[in-house]
Amino acid sequence: MPQLQFIRSNTFRWASTVAGVFAAFIVILFGFIYWKSDRYLIARSDRMITQQIDFIAALPPGRRIDAIADHLAQDSRGVQFAGFFGADGNRLAGNLQRIPGELRIDGPVQSVRVLQTSQADPVDLLIRAIGRRLQSGEVLVIGRNVDEVREISQVVGQALALGLLPAFSLCLLAGAWLSVRAQKRVEEVNQRVQRIIAGDLRERLPHRNVDEPFSRLAAIVNGMLDEMETMINALAGVGNDIAHDLRTPLTRARLSLERGRTHATTLEQLQEVTDKAIAGIDQSLAIITALLRLTEIENSRRAAGFGNVALHEILREVCDVYEPIAEDKNIELAVDVDRKLHVWGDRDLLFEAIANLVDNAVKFTPSGGKVDLELSRGNKETVVRVTDTGPGISEREREAVLRRFYRSDKMRNTPGVGLGLSLVAAIAKLHGFRLIVSPGPGGRVEIVCPDETATRKEETLACRAESRFL
Amino acid sequence: MRLEELETRLMTRILLIEDDGETAEEIVAELTDRGFDVEWSSNGIDGLDKARALRPDALIVDRMLPGMDGLNVIEALRKDQVSTPVLVLSALGAVNDRVRGLRMGGDDYLTKPFAIIELVARLEALLRRPSESRETTLRLGPLELDLIERTAKRGERTIDLLPREFRLLEYMMRRSGQLLTRGMLLEEVWNYKFVPATTNLVDVHMGRVRHKVDGPGEAQMIHNVRGSGFILRAP
Repeated sequence: MPQLQFIRSNTFRWASTVAGVFAAFIVILFGFIYWKSDRYLIARSDRMITQQIDFIAALPPGRRIDAIADHLAQDSRGVQFAGFFGADGNRLAGNLQRIPGELRIDGPVQSVRVLQTSQADPVDLLIRAIGRRLQSGEVLVIGRNVDEVREISQVVGQALALGLLPAFSLCLLAGAWLSVRAQKRVEEVNQRVQRIIAGDLRERLPHRNVDEPFSRLAAIVNGMLDEMETMINALAGVGNDIAHDLRTPLTRARLSLERGRTHATTLEQLQEVTDKAIAGIDQSLAIITALLRLTEIENSRRAAGFGNVALHEILREVCDVYEPIAEDKNIELAVDVDRKLHVWGDRDLLFEAIANLVDNAVKFTPSGGKVDLELSRGNKETVVRVTDTGPGISEREREAVLRRFYRSDKMRNTPGVGLGLSLVAAIAKLHGFRLIVSPGPGGRVEIVCPDETATRKEETLACRAESRFL
Repeated sequence: MRLEELETRLMTRILLIEDDGETAEEIVAELTDRGFDVEWSSNGIDGLDKARALRPDALIVDRMLPGMDGLNVIEALRKDQVSTPVLVLSALGAVNDRVRGLRMGGDDYLTKPFAIIELVARLEALLRRPSESRETTLRLGPLELDLIERTAKRGERTIDLLPREFRLLEYMMRRSGQLLTRGMLLEEVWNYKFVPATTNLVDVHMGRVRHKVDGPGEAQMIHNVRGSGFILRAP
């Protein structure tokens, strides 16, 4: 029965337990109050009767009987008891018929049982009383009914009933409410997750914008779903891009092979055709290789190959490699290294990233232009900057450029696989660096290496080194 | 091909461990054409047995094999103190520490798909690993390289080389007469672990070195093999 499911739920069980414990506490508290006030009241009446007996005993013998009568007359509630007995035990004055049997004369205040005869119906009462034998031989007994304590206990009991029952019910209600609410939310999340599993990637978990654990969890999961949706969409886009980019060279290869098969009459002609076809196939393979390389980097967790990398050396090497190519294209390639700067990373991959940036810059800069390679310190970060006088990247194209395979429309006729920047982005991400592509005119790409990635890596390295010694 | 070259090759025994029959057939045909004595094995366990029994001069091993992984075959051989050079073929990329270790150990790694000429060139390079000579001067015909002074001369003419160009020429002189592919040069001279987007990178640098080495009126020493790579030969 789904309606009663909440009773079995954990939340409800917890609420019941809490309610039980709560009730026990209240009972103990009220019990304590009762016990404390009982003790207090008895001690107070004990003090009073001791004072009274002292007072009466100290009076001259002739005034004692009057004093007892006065004392009893002042008591409107009928809680006071007194008795003045002769040495032989006969009653001289007071409302006690005889000396109570259990009362120890000259002892401390104690509880005794007396028969109250003042009312029509004699009642057996429990009172606090004290007895004292005077010098002249008479016995004086003063007592006080402590039944009012019982009244108090009644009040306490009522208060308990009034306070405890609502509190207990409130606990149970709150527990039930919480468990039903949690149940509902879990059910809602379950339904939405089922929809996501069924393929609706735009579905998100419900959450209110409050700092509450469940909402925060939902927000975290939603963030994860966002990332996954982007990735899956990107993947779908990549599928199309790959198909398109592979189709072009393969079509060329197929056409030349087909033509060669029917038209080639000499070996030379056939070889020429085959060379063309091989070139087309090689281009397709280059695309696949580049794509695999990208996946390889994105999936690698190769922090093992990390070390202290001298960026200034890499920059000089890259410049060294690309200088002749730039010169052939009549482009000036300049390297400006502030000072020796190191970062924590994989030397080969960082070389690949920077070489790719320079490769791109040289490729897209028209003849007579300039490519600058700079290494500098920013605010707690090391920056590698590649600027060129090429067309640059427009605001609209910036995001797309980092996606796999994107090549600016202006560049469709420039050879190249178009994976360069995606690769650089993947390498930067692996290192915890940022890749900043600034809008044109003029190309400007930066790899920003924050210092904290270096310290973090060094710490883990230090930890590893320590644990080896342990 | 020169006759003596063919004769030495006939005595060169290659063991190919490759599970794909068609690929293996092509490789065997090509290598046999080039005068090698090729044995073929289609799985790791059989391959390891043959490697132990036949004592080939070089191994070509596919990385993913039924029965036993290609890298495990090599590790097993190395444990037996067999130091036969190995060329590993793989559809997997090279970003892997085991592969790094392989390259450092003098073996080579070729990612599928590859041009058959690339395979042959790398196999030749493995078979003719240059001996670690203590010579401080390399000589080939009129060409002379002083490894201490870092200077180059052709006859009496001094050749002015940049550091990287010197390294390129040194690498080529140690492997004179061998076909050196762009991939090999990128890996060995420029330390590239990837294929650069600019495909003519090596050609541009080579063009400069050739311009310096083969002066006007001098016989050509650096030869371009169309579509494959470069050879340095005495004139």
